[in-house]
Amino acid sequence: MDNDLVLWIVVATALAFDFTNGFHDTANAVATSISTRAMSPRVAVTLAAILNFVGAFLSLAVAATIATGIVQADMVTLEIVFSGLIGAISWNLLTWYFGLPSSSSHALIGGVVGSAVAAVGVDAVIAEGLVGKVLIPAVVAPVLAFLVAGIAIGVSYRVVGKQRPGIVSRGYRYGQILSGGLLALAHGTNDAQKTMGIITLALIANGNLGPEADPPFWVIASAAAAIALGTYSGGWRIIKTTGTRIIKMDAAQGFSAQGAGAAVILSSTHFGFPLSTTHVINGGVMGSGAAKRLSAVRWGVAGNIFVAWLLTLPAAATIGGLTYGFTRIFGTGALGPVIVTLMALSLVAAAFTRRARRGAPVEAAGA
Amino acid sequence: MIATIVHTDELLQTIAASVVAGIGVTFAFSVGIWGAGQFAELNRAGRPAAATAALVVGGLALAGVAAAIVIGIIVMTSK
Repeated sequence: MDNDLVLWIVVATALAFDFTNGFHDTANAVATSISTRAMSPRVAVTLAAILNFVGAFLSLAVAATIATGIVQADMVTLEIVFSGLIGAISWNLLTWYFGLPSSSSHALIGGVVGSAVAAVGVDAVIAEGLVGKVLIPAVVAPVLAFLVAGIAIGVSYRVVGKQRPGIVSRGYRYGQILSGGLLALAHGTNDAQKTMGIITLALIANGNLGPEADPPFWVIASAAAAIALGTYSGGWRIIKTTGTRIIKMDAAQGFSAQGAGAAVILSSTHFGFPLSTTHVINGGVMGSGAAKRLSAVRWGVAGNIFVAWLLTLPAAATIGGLTYGFTRIFGTGALGPVIVTLMALSLVAAAFTRRARRGAPVEAAGA
Repeated sequence: MIATIVHTDELLQTIAASVVAGIGVTFAFSVGIWGAGQFAELNRAGRPAAATAALVVGGLALAGVAAAIVIGIIVMTSK
């Protein structure tokens, strides 16, 4: 009975994380489309939400990596998964509060690894999976997006350089509907699977599924719906940072950044690499800016984002570990997770209230 | 040992696919825009045959973009 209650708390928390992931990462898909005025904010966010939902059904390779490739599924308990999720959500909200596009994916992986280490020790972590599937792709992917976007924008300027600016700008704006859509699809494919993987891990830990099981359909559908709803709600603060503060971009740069981001994420998803979509698109944005003019990139803002990236895994791991320790004060039953959930909800409400009192973070609809 | 941890083969395939798709699609789309621009320009200059040729090249490039996206999604869903 207690375990079932904890399982439902974990499922609800995972879906809440998925919602915050969509909310937090909307910027990845739509910021450049909005900043170049290829689409209005509301249309861009709606399109991204729909394609996030569709993308979640495309593949299960990343879900398999999260469920069985990073921590030892047979050593994991529901409390570990729960604490990891709290670590990830806390870090996501903190970075959202300060408008930093950090990685929800790395927060999730860091949170679960931290709570697993706190509970079982380092033996719970599959080093090969963590290094090979997460850490190395985490370094390679944004650099790859940076280079691909940089080369792509160079190629496109060369091809259309002598055309009239009006037709070029209009053409790439239309193109951004396509590239933004692809990026949203890629985001749904990679990020929704992380929640599917976490819920599957919880179901394995609770004995509802076998150790190598795929996510059941209800898990796939609910994860898809949660990320799409989160995306539709929109994270306007982060849209502003990604869309205008890193570089002022033209439509061709937006197209190249989104195209590079979508290519990197979709091909990585195919091999089950749980990438940070945030890292990838920011790499693409910087690449398309730097290729035009190095000084076009606001390196100070880029530096802040870089620091947030570096901090994400250890910070989420620390919060996950501390949450596990706190939960265990109340024993192994449902009391610990219930208390932590209530505390987390209070903190979320406080953060939203405080943010709302400061006014709308960015000019939203119609801007 | 390192090769086992790094998943070299998958990583290299990811890099190759990203480079080909990311740069290739942007190039083809740019050719599409070039075709549309040339079509308008050459028509204004009274060269309809050359304008049509530019339009065909641009159209083929855009068809290539569409094909690349469809193939990409089919590959994604077929694993």
